[in-house]
Amino acid sequence: MSSQVPNDLRYAKSHEWVRVNGDVATVGITDHAQHELTDVVFVELPNVGRKVRAGEACAVVESVKTASDIYSPVSGEIVGVNKAVADNPALVNSSPFGEGWFLQVRLANAAEVEGLLTPEAYRAQIGV
Amino acid sequence: MAKPIAEMSIESVTLELPDVKTVRLRWPEGYDPGEFKTGQFITVSWPHKPKYRRAYSLSSCALDRGFFEVTVKRDGKMGTSVVDWAEAGDTMIVIPPTGRFLPVFDPPGKHLICVAGGSGVTPFRGFVREATARGLDTRITILYTVRTTRDIIFADEFRELEAKNPKFKFLVTCTRLAPEDPWAGRRGRITPEWVRSFVDHPADTVFYACGTNDMVEAVEHLVIHDLGLPKEQMKTEKWG
Repeated sequence: MSSQVPNDLRYAKSHEWVRVNGDVATVGITDHAQHELTDVVFVELPNVGRKVRAGEACAVVESVKTASDIYSPVSGEIVGVNKAVADNPALVNSSPFGEGWFLQVRLANAAEVEGLLTPEAYRAQIGV
Repeated sequence: MAKPIAEMSIESVTLELPDVKTVRLRWPEGYDPGEFKTGQFITVSWPHKPKYRRAYSLSSCALDRGFFEVTVKRDGKMGTSVVDWAEAGDTMIVIPPTGRFLPVFDPPGKHLICVAGGSGVTPFRGFVREATARGLDTRITILYTVRTTRDIIFADEFRELEAKNPKFKFLVTCTRLAPEDPWAGRRGRITPEWVRSFVDHPADTVFYACGTNDMVEAVEHLVIHDLGLPKEQMKTEKWG
């Protein structure tokens, strides 16, 4: 089954997605990533208020297959985390672009978003 | 028929490296796992913490009866819990073997080139144990990348199997050794050229890659794009 790559998002090579609303970026992992991970059993989220740089590990996702770091695609301050996904990690599998989001970052440098992969470029990366 | 999920007692825990242990799970009385094959994985969890659940490749082989062995690295909550907590006499819940990462022993005469990184070497222990125990003429070459010589899992066992089985070769490359380290083996990452140097007859070669996504994808690229071989000759297990 081919993975979904919504057109209204930007992507990191490490398979996170970013949805920008004003100066806040919501971050999650892609449908392709959740397929590769298989059943997610744990999500560990950072504390609100933490400052992150683009490319910095800021969360952990563990599936029945592996444990992986999640990298913030953008720099800024973490202003929200999705407690629902920590309580119910299966949301990452069932709704990777919706209820399965991980965290929200107040952008320190909005231009970083433009440097992320377009949907076309991400589709080319994952071969769909 | 659905395979039975069973509670199994941990018979032994063997320290392989400071952060890697092999856990032997004893089949309970009357347990029948049905037909299973070397290279498959089992899914284990703790009875008191069912969310702690992980699939691990068997490091034992299908000829080993009465127990399953998995070799676990200390990572994530589950890997950490197994390495830190597991003791002989503990109980784990085990979903029986499944998976398609299988050695091609039939037809005979194949050359299996098995590329592994870190704990990705664990299923290949099963491959070699079975081939050696059965006296097969299948060639197996393991190309194993680790950071340093202290990170080689099953080093002694693979050397012993190499001595018993002339069709088996175990080659290690270290990526982060100090220049003054006395290691006489290969250094540096696995490269397409190194893998390619072991391919004599592409049509009779089956490639396996188990390790990080980057490593597995690089081997896939080599096999499918550079060597132009069909996907059926490439079998992968990705993680991380």
